[in-house]
Amino acid sequence: MTPTHRITRAAQLESLDDFRRFLKEHCAPHAGITAEILYDLQLAVDEACTNIITHGYAGMDPGSIILDLEIDASKIGISITDFGHAFEPKSAPTPDVDASIEEREFGGFGLFFIQQTMDEMNYRTTEDGNTMLLTKHIIIPTGD
Amino acid sequence: MKTEIKHADKCTTIFVSGSVDALTAAELGKNVAAQIARDHVNLIMDLSGLEFMSSAGLRTLLGAVKETRSHGGDLRIVSTNPGIDKVLKMSGFHNIAKVFTSQAEAAASFE
Repeated sequence: MTPTHRITRAAQLESLDDFRRFLKEHCAPHAGITAEILYDLQLAVDEACTNIITHGYAGMDPGSIILDLEIDASKIGISITDFGHAFEPKSAPTPDVDASIEEREFGGFGLFFIQQTMDEMNYRTTEDGNTMLLTKHIIIPTGD
Repeated sequence: MKTEIKHADKCTTIFVSGSVDALTAAELGKNVAAQIARDHVNLIMDLSGLEFMSSAGLRTLLGAVKETRSHGGDLRIVSTNPGIDKVLKMSGFHNIAKVFTSQAEAAASFE
């Protein structure tokens, strides 16, 4: 079994920094996780958690966000669980990145960035909460 | 997030360090608004000391470009962090605003 690292924080914007630090701390010992891969992970998690904080718990008492991280030889798995309103990834608009500044919508980049930086994204809602599963493939040098 | 402002003859630079996320982006927006209110509409946002920026920061930059242009100025970016460059590129930001790799080039563009 690959060990799972976990952090649980209140669903508030002040927690975003804690999630980024958590990822940095646990990815640092792995030579195959480059600065670029770490940035991708931090960005995807930041966007997912921001959506949960601003939309998922809208109109509810703020709950928690549980972030689980698993790193093995070929991939990084992240699961983000919350207990707020379910999110419909398919209903989210795709931003037009070729639009001129006059036509630009200022929102909609969060999910788009998750899709652009992660290799897989799955979302499920059960009685036990909502979970977004993210996978990023990596090649970790085995050494001599 | 921390900001530092430097005024020159032709432009004003906002140096941004730390992280711009959904918590701190509004503060950056206020920094821009404060400069525009003082008629400093030719702005450089120097992100070379920035560690992290999410879509919330990007929204602030887009808003700042629109605001400066509506006042007859412009907002130009200095970016050297590959992660932040990627955020700018994924969003097509390079198509709507000028992005430089050094403060000197950005300042020269206002000469």
